[in-house]
Amino acid sequence: MRRVLWSVLLALLAGVGLGLAYSWVLSPLRVTNSEPIALRGDFKDQYRSSIAAAYAATGNLPRAQARLALLGDTDPIEALNAQAQRMLASGQSFEQADKVVALAVALGENLNGDAPIPTSTFVVVKNDERTFTATPLPTSPDTSVLLTETPQAIETQPIISESTPRPTQTSIPTLGAPFTLTGQDTICDSNLPDGLLQVVVLNSNRRQLAGVGIVIAWDGGEEQFFTGLKPEIGNGYADFIMTPDTTYTVKLGPGSDIASGLTVPTCQASGGESFFGGIKLTFQQP
Amino acid sequence: MKTGRSLWVFIILALAAGIGLGLAYGWFIDPVDFFDLTPDTLRADYKADYVLMTAEAYRLEQDPGLAARRLAIFGTQSPSAIAANGLTYARANGFADSDIALIQELVTALQAWSGIQ
Repeated sequence: MRRVLWSVLLALLAGVGLGLAYSWVLSPLRVTNSEPIALRGDFKDQYRSSIAAAYAATGNLPRAQARLALLGDTDPIEALNAQAQRMLASGQSFEQADKVVALAVALGENLNGDAPIPTSTFVVVKNDERTFTATPLPTSPDTSVLLTETPQAIETQPIISESTPRPTQTSIPTLGAPFTLTGQDTICDSNLPDGLLQVVVLNSNRRQLAGVGIVIAWDGGEEQFFTGLKPEIGNGYADFIMTPDTTYTVKLGPGSDIASGLTVPTCQASGGESFFGGIKLTFQQP
Repeated sequence: MKTGRSLWVFIILALAAGIGLGLAYGWFIDPVDFFDLTPDTLRADYKADYVLMTAEAYRLEQDPGLAARRLAIFGTQSPSAIAANGLTYARANGFADSDIALIQELVTALQAWSGIQ
């Protein structure tokens, strides 16, 4: 009797194993109704890029926010800035990257309350049912964006107002506009790497600009790098390690000021010993 | 002999029950979590919204080639067919007239651009 029970139990377990192997590995459910959050990273980039292009055309920030929310980025602004970097680094057009940055800037300004809150209503509703029920989707840019799946709402983000004027286009910094060198400081901090060249790029509102290309040249060499690759320090921050006894020239876009004659400074520590310091350049749009 | 046959019947029944349990668990209770998906798996309303995004951008850019490249992420159809599907969905699901007009404009442009009439 005991042997029978064991045999049946083993058969049951073997059956469960076979069933799981089939349903998880051999023939998992075919995905047909996925959400943007499940897209592969490069497709998410394209999705963001399209959102930014649509925003550039309509100026409808609530709609752009609702669409970005679908991608599930923990920090949409950082995600947009990082994507702009990737776009520039991969040689995509500056215009498209500029739109992505512009959307990040608009979101940031909206967060900081610098821009008027668009007076629209949008609701993103999710639920745990996988079956799609057809619903009216995005509505007029003048009124709202409504993305709904089913009635059971677990997440809503309403911005409610009485009137629904079309949001005005948020001012967008033109990355190609010339920059002025507003600061050139010698940094003597023994905690920083020797010869660290720090570049901070600001727009006319003193907001840091990501995705600005910086060309550093020296006798026999030249290198290009971009702001925003270290968002933990600042969206408009970039750095470069200079070699002692080499003179560098730093320039941004055409027409911008050029910082020339840059060499690694020698600093004195409190104990009297010397060490190599760094330089901090600040560029700003007038 | 009869006991042995009964044992096999029990084993086969248990195996079948186990397979059923495994399938039910793997397909319905805890199905595979999918990620890194391609856009062609998106639900119809998200696809339609993506078409609308492309149409909004097209209104400003007036570049059917760029719009076609944006829609090409769906892969399996021509850009004009993808846009036409979006238009059909928009009309059937109460999109605003202004949005439908934008998508219509995109469809027309893509049909002319690709030569598909």
